[in-house]
Amino acid sequence: MTGITAIGIHLPRLRLSRAGMAAAMDWLSPRSDARGARTLAFWDEDGITMGVAAARACLAHAPEATRGEIRALSFATTTPVFAEPQNASLVHAALRLPAESIAQDSGGTLRCGLIALHMALEGTGPTLVVAADSPVSPAGSIAESRFGDGAAAVLVGGGPALLAYRGGASLTAPFIERYRAADRALATDWEERWVREEGFLSLVPRAIADALAGAGLVPQDIQHFVLPSVIPGCAKAVAQAAGLSKARLAENLDIECGDTGAAHALVMLARAMEQMQPGERVLVAQFGQGATALILEATDALAGFDPGVAAALAGGIAEANYLKLPIFRGLLAWERGLRGRLPVNEALTTAYRNAEALLGFVGGRSPQTGHVQFPASHIAVAESGFHAQAQEPWPLADRGGTVATATADRLAFSRSPPNCYGLVDIAGGGRLMMDFTDPEAARLAPGDKVHFVFRIKDLDERTGYRRYFWKAVAAAAPIAAAQEKGA
Amino acid sequence: MATGIKDRVAILSMGCSRFGERWDVGQEELMAEAYLEALGGSGIDPSMIEAAWYSSHYDDIGAGKAGLPMAQALRLPAIGVTRVENFCAGGTEAFRGAVYAVASGAVDIALAVGVEKLKDTGFAGLPPASRGTFAPMYLPTHTNPGNFSQLARAYGAHHGVSRDDLKRAMAHTSMKSHFNAVKNKNAHLRKAITIEQAVNAPLVADPLGLYDCCPVSDGAACAIVTTPEIARSLGKSAPVLVKAIQLVASNGWEVQQSDWNGAYVHTARIAARRAYAEAGITDPRSQLSFAELHDCFSITEIVTLEDIGLSDEGTAWKRMRDGAFDVDGEMPCQVDGGLKCFGHPVGASGLRMLYECWLQLTGQAGERQLGAPSLALTHNLGGAPAQNVCSITIVGAA
Repeated sequence: MTGITAIGIHLPRLRLSRAGMAAAMDWLSPRSDARGARTLAFWDEDGITMGVAAARACLAHAPEATRGEIRALSFATTTPVFAEPQNASLVHAALRLPAESIAQDSGGTLRCGLIALHMALEGTGPTLVVAADSPVSPAGSIAESRFGDGAAAVLVGGGPALLAYRGGASLTAPFIERYRAADRALATDWEERWVREEGFLSLVPRAIADALAGAGLVPQDIQHFVLPSVIPGCAKAVAQAAGLSKARLAENLDIECGDTGAAHALVMLARAMEQMQPGERVLVAQFGQGATALILEATDALAGFDPGVAAALAGGIAEANYLKLPIFRGLLAWERGLRGRLPVNEALTTAYRNAEALLGFVGGRSPQTGHVQFPASHIAVAESGFHAQAQEPWPLADRGGTVATATADRLAFSRSPPNCYGLVDIAGGGRLMMDFTDPEAARLAPGDKVHFVFRIKDLDERTGYRRYFWKAVAAAAPIAAAQEKGA
Repeated sequence: MATGIKDRVAILSMGCSRFGERWDVGQEELMAEAYLEALGGSGIDPSMIEAAWYSSHYDDIGAGKAGLPMAQALRLPAIGVTRVENFCAGGTEAFRGAVYAVASGAVDIALAVGVEKLKDTGFAGLPPASRGTFAPMYLPTHTNPGNFSQLARAYGAHHGVSRDDLKRAMAHTSMKSHFNAVKNKNAHLRKAITIEQAVNAPLVADPLGLYDCCPVSDGAACAIVTTPEIARSLGKSAPVLVKAIQLVASNGWEVQQSDWNGAYVHTARIAARRAYAEAGITDPRSQLSFAELHDCFSITEIVTLEDIGLSDEGTAWKRMRDGAFDVDGEMPCQVDGGLKCFGHPVGASGLRMLYECWLQLTGQAGERQLGAPSLALTHNLGGAPAQNVCSITIVGAA
């Protein structure tokens, strides 16, 4: 039977405190509960980069050969970076998945991640499901404080399952509790009581009942229940309505990170997997224009598996400045100085010609000197001598490196000054002048170990174009540490 | 077998505009200022100039591409004008073109002009240089303070110099140049500063503060070169001769392999070695009278002193603090204020340095005249420590 063979998540390190949000916005929309924090994607993180980070964490748990066997990639988000091109193609390229594979974007509902997983579990062949989201809501809204940014990735098939698939059901209904027209930036939400009573409590139990019946199971056979909802108490009420009150209610992580939208059912599943024992079953459900319910059973392989959620939660950096949210998300015009006006040259021809280098972070290795370099070139770099043999492709993304020189530049344009960069010596050879990122990038100094992350390189607000490349982050960051452990 | 450029070409005359925030003029007027001064002292008629080289780095905020802006600003007599661009070594590159033309025997008299109009950007610091389409897709959005702060950090780490000690050495470097520029009527910044002011200035890219960075300036400089024989025939009984010109461009080794430690400039060491050989110099510390170094940042001057053999490795920061490179020290540097205070119009700077050398070597430097110097060196560093174009020129008496 097929199932989930690996899972990984990514949570941005910034944790915007709800107290900070309240301090900024309470004059407009006072609320009684300002506990905890929500994740806030850094300026250079979006659904594509978070999805890549989660997928790398996921694939780090799978044998290296598995990457080459993946034949399908599904990328789910309600907040796609691009209406065109296909976002999945960029995730695919960053992961260096085989060209001989099918990739697709899905979205439209917060349930899209679980729908993609349902389809993968019902399909054949190794499939990578990546869900990432960055829900954007009006300033001061409850949704703004309850949703967060994050991503999760699940590998289906391609090896021994951690969670075997026992059955699932999806149903569709035109229940519209939240909408956003294609040309609008912000979603509008309807009254919570209606959503809970007429939506969640009516539709989710039906999907659960269908899934249980299809699997030949009864509610008492389920030990863990995953259901994201930003409505307080909603998941517990659904569990009772579906006869699952004995099942352990999975943590919704509202205090730690907020609801990560399309990714959140999978983030919560990963969290639940940290507590599951072999033989236990989990029912994962999500709501949105209907509902999906999937039943998965832990195998012996789950013992000793670390989904990395605890490490990701522990890696947060407290942030109290609410204004970083609207500025990072492009919702507020801000003074960037005349240096910040310089255009981003698209040169799509150059980008495609060098796609393997730029998206896959693949350098070259000279067969004559053995030296690694980025980017690869016809004639190898060397202090002296002439070495013109064709170079072999040399993937760099997972190697990490050591900072050789560093700066924190207050003159250069940056969306989060100072702009930090320097020379990085890559493990196994090669050196590159790279951007450093993450909120603590200015701390990086020569000798520090770094890992590489896929991030937004530049974005052009005039055209909406953005391009991506790899940057260095401190290896001490728990998320990166989890990746190294798996690699 | 090539014999080098030594003693084959003479500087007939030079000129230099006032540097600074020249809101009053554009590139054309700046070029004319420098050119008219050079022409006035040359003893030739413009019709005698047979070829010209034009250095300007930024065409988008300047006068445009090709040789036309210079041919038209100076109304040159329908001759070839070659535009060159080699980052901050561009001015020297223009000079090299003119010198090589004369040395080849193809022409008798050639002109080199460098100009930059930087204050039309609307922001501080140099604008980013274009890097084609591919490099910006992976290289950081950098600035020169950011690039050279890496040199400072690496130098401090490699030689075990504390941040505080290095800050004070860098502050002395800038204080010295400010002091020198007070006597230079063409300089951009003509105000003395204290070491404390420099140490306590706002940070631009740690450890570089505001006074560790040269200003960006508008300005132009000009040289007219010919053969030593023609120079003498025009009344220059003791013309300044070109002793060496060497230029080295990084091939990517420093920035793509891990052998370079970031604490020195690889190209400068090579260019210096070749220049000394070309000029027949065996002991630069005793043979050179003074030097005009590319002090785009205070740390650049300190590191360069070591790279070109004017100070032992790891010692320049200390000797700087001891006054060795002050105007009354053993090797005066930046007598005219340097990039730090004379200013740095990118395409003109190489020629501006030669202008000071020419003034000093011909006894025309006025109140900042250094006795009777005989041999001087100029150095340019274009780009970043990890990837650059470096030039070294040596000029002197016959």
